[in-house]
Amino acid sequence: MAEKKQGRLTKVLDYLKHDDPFSKGVAFCPGCGLELLLRFIPRVLGNDIVITGTPSCSAPVLLGQNNQSWHTLSYFGTLMTGAAANATGLVRYYRKAGIDNTVVCFNGDGTANDIGFGNLSGAAERNEPFIYICYDNEGYMNTGIQKSGTTPYGATTTTTPYGSVHKGKNLRRMNLGLKMAMNKIPYTATATLSDLDDLAKKLLKAKEAKERGFCFLHVFAPCPTGWGADPADTIEICRRAVKTNYFPLWEAENGRIRMTKTVKKPKSVGTYTELMKKFNHMTEDDIKILQDDVDYEYCLLGGLSVLEAECQLPVSVKDQGETS
Amino acid sequence: MNTTATPSRIKVITGNAAAAIAAKLARPDVVAAYPITPQTEVIEQISTFYASGEMDCELITVEGENSAMNVVMAASLAGGRVFTASSSWGLVFMYDAVLAVAGARAPVVMVNVNRETPGIIAVSSGQQDMISTRDAGWIFLIAEDCQEVLDLVLQAYRLAEDYDIQLPVMVHYDGFFLSYLSEGVDIPEQKTVDQFLSVLKTQPKRTVLHPGEKLGVGSHGILGGYMELRHKHVTAMERSKAKFEEIDKEFADIFGRSYGGQVEEYRTDDADMVLVGSGSMCGTIKAVIDEQREKGVRIGLVKIRMYRPFPHKALVAALKGKKAIGVVDRSLAFGFDGGPIYTELKAFETRMDGAKLISFIDGIANTDITKTNVEKMIQMTGDLADGKDVPEVTWVSYPDANTKGEK
Ligand SMILES: Cc1ncc(C[n+]2csc(CCOP(=O)(O)OP(=O)(O)O)c2C)c(N)n1
Ligand code: SF4
Repeated sequence: MAEKKQGRLTKVLDYLKHDDPFSKGVAFCPGCGLELLLRFIPRVLGNDIVITGTPSCSAPVLLGQNNQSWHTLSYFGTLMTGAAANATGLVRYYRKAGIDNTVVCFNGDGTANDIGFGNLSGAAERNEPFIYICYDNEGYMNTGIQKSGTTPYGATTTTTPYGSVHKGKNLRRMNLGLKMAMNKIPYTATATLSDLDDLAKKLLKAKEAKERGFCFLHVFAPCPTGWGADPADTIEICRRAVKTNYFPLWEAENGRIRMTKTVKKPKSVGTYTELMKKFNHMTEDDIKILQDDVDYEYCLLGGLSVLEAECQLPVSVKDQGETS
Repeated sequence: MNTTATPSRIKVITGNAAAAIAAKLARPDVVAAYPITPQTEVIEQISTFYASGEMDCELITVEGENSAMNVVMAASLAGGRVFTASSSWGLVFMYDAVLAVAGARAPVVMVNVNRETPGIIAVSSGQQDMISTRDAGWIFLIAEDCQEVLDLVLQAYRLAEDYDIQLPVMVHYDGFFLSYLSEGVDIPEQKTVDQFLSVLKTQPKRTVLHPGEKLGVGSHGILGGYMELRHKHVTAMERSKAKFEEIDKEFADIFGRSYGGQVEEYRTDDADMVLVGSGSMCGTIKAVIDEQREKGVRIGLVKIRMYRPFPHKALVAALKGKKAIGVVDRSLAFGFDGGPIYTELKAFETRMDGAKLISFIDGIANTDITKTNVEKMIQMTGDLADGKDVPEVTWVSYPDANTKGEK
C-alpha cells in the first residue's frame, strides 16, 4: 500500500520540472485550492510564462504591492472586466514582434463566467493563442463569499444566505467548461487538485495546443474559508467531486469531448456535500434536486462525447488557427 | 496655421479617413476595432488597409469597446505601438480600461470622434463624451479640421511614446461635422512620417512586459507607493505641455504646418475681445472674425488644442489684458450652469488683469454653431467689454433657457 502511494506521487513529481517561483509563505488561507494550483502551473509550464490576474483572491499574491512581489514571474495585474482582452493584447503583440510566449490568463469564476465572460467569449471566437485558466471556487471569494454563476444549487453565500424565506441559492450552476468546449476551440479541459497528474498532462497539452489557438482549462479549486470546510479536506473535497460526478474530468480537442477519468460506481452527491457547511441546511429533497442536476449534466456530457465521435469534424474547425 | 510646405499629395477625404490614414502612416503593431457612429468609418478604412496588406499590423476586431481598450493597453505595455478609435457610448463602455491605461502609463493613442454621451439617446455631435472622461489622466488634443486630425494623430505618437512623457493620448474631433466632412488634406509621404517618428527610436527604451523577465505591471499601489505614482503622473502631464510645443515646431520643420502648440491664437494681438473655442466651431468663428474685422470690431479667437493637461498658462498669456472673453462650450458641466471650459477658465480670471468672462453653450446635439450664432456671441462679448449688463451664461441656440425659469 505504502509502495503504491509512493508510485503515484512520483508520477506527479515527474511533471514538476521547474522551480516554484512563489515565496514560501503567501497571503492565502490555509488549505486554499487556489494556492496549490497557482504554484503548480509554473512548475509544470515553466517560469517563462506571462501570467495575468484580476482583482480576486489570487490578487494579493499574484499582483504584489508597490514594487514588491510574492513571486518572480512576469505578470500583468488587470481588470475583472477585460482579462481575456488583456491576454489578447499581449499575445498579439508578441506574435507581431516574433517573441515566443506562453500567456496564462488566470481568473476566478467571477471573472470567467460572469463579469468577464464577454471578452472570454470574444477571445474564443477569435481563437486567440493563449491559455485561459479559470480556478472555480464557486463564488466571489475575495469580496467576502458572494454568489456567482457557478455557485451550485442550494449553497449559501453572503448574497444567498439562509433565511426563513429564501434558503441559499435557488438557481442551478452554469457549466462553464462545457460552454467553452461548444466553441470548438483547440483545447478545453476540466481538472482538479486530487488528480494532479491529470492536471499536469492537461496543462502541457494546452501549452502545445495554444500554438493552434485558444485553450481553456476549468479547474475546480475548493475554498475552505468560503465553503465552510476543514482546510485539511481540500483534496478530499476534490476527490469526492470527481467520484460523485459533481465535477467530471474530461478534455475536448476542437470540442470533441472525451472523458479522462470515468467513475465506475459514482457515489451519491450527498457524500460530497457533507464535507461543507454551505450545504448544511439542505433537506434530502434539496439534495435530490442537486443530484438530478449532476446526473443530467453528466448524462449530457456522455451523450455529447458519443455524438461528437459520430459527426464529421468540419474543415472550418480543424483548420482554424488564423486569428483576426 | 501657416503653410510653407513643399507640396505633396492633397486628397479630398473625411475626418475619419484622415484619422485612419494617419494611423496607417504611424505603423502601429496592434489595432483594436469596434464600430460606433460616427467613428465607424475609421475602423472600416483600417480594415480595408489591413485586408489589402497596406497595413501590417495585428488587427483585433473585438466584441466590444471595453475589450478594445484592454487589448491596446496590454499590447502597449508589452512594447507595441497601438491604435484604437471610439466615441460616446463606446468611450464610456471602455472607461475602466481608459483609467487603467493612464494608471499604467501605457502610451496608447486613440481618436475619439466626439458625440453626445449616453443619458439621452442622441446620435449627434457634442463634446460631452470628452468632458465625461477628462479626468482620466490622458492627454487630450482637439482638432479643428480634417488636416489637423491627421497631423494631431501623428503628433500624438510623438507625445505619448516620448520617454519623458509615457502617457496615453486621445485625439478628439467633432463627430458629424468633421467625421463626415470631406475636405482637402495634404497626406504626407510614408518616409516623411517615418522620419518624424524616428526620434522615438533614439530615446531610451521604456520598460516593457516581456516573457520570462521578473517584472510585473499592475501591483497594488499602497500608501506612499500610490502617491508616488500619482505624483509622477501629474508631473508628466505638466511636462507634456512644453513637449507638445517642441513637437509642433519640429512638425512644422518637417511638414511645413504649425499650429501654435497648446493653443492657437487667431487675430488676438490687438484684440479687445476674444472668443475661446475648440474643435470645428473654430473655422466658423475665424470666418466671422474676418468679417467683423472689416467693420473694425477688434475681436480674436483663442483655440484650445490641448485640453488635458489644461493649458492655463498659455491661456492666461493669450487672454491677459483683454476686456472681455466669451468661452464657447459644446458640452455641459452638470452641477454648474456655465459650460465646462468656461468653469475651468474662470479659476484663472484673477490672473487676467481685469478681463471678464462669460459662457456660451452652443452646438450640442448637432445644432450648428452658425455664423449668426457667432455674431450674437461677439455682440454680447462686446457689450460685456463696454461694461453693459450681460447674462453670465447663454444657451445660444435655445432661447427658452435664457428667458424661462424651467422646471
Ligand atoms: C468591475 C469590478 N467590480 C467589482 C470588483 C470587486 N471585486 C474584487 S474581487 C471580486 C470577486 C472576484 O471573484 P472571482 O473572480 O471569482 O475570484 P475569487 O475572489 O473567487 O478568487 C470582486 C467582485 C472589481 N474588482 N471590479
Ligand atoms: S477565501 Fe477561499 S479562495 Fe480566497 S484565499 Fe481563502 S480559501 Fe482561498
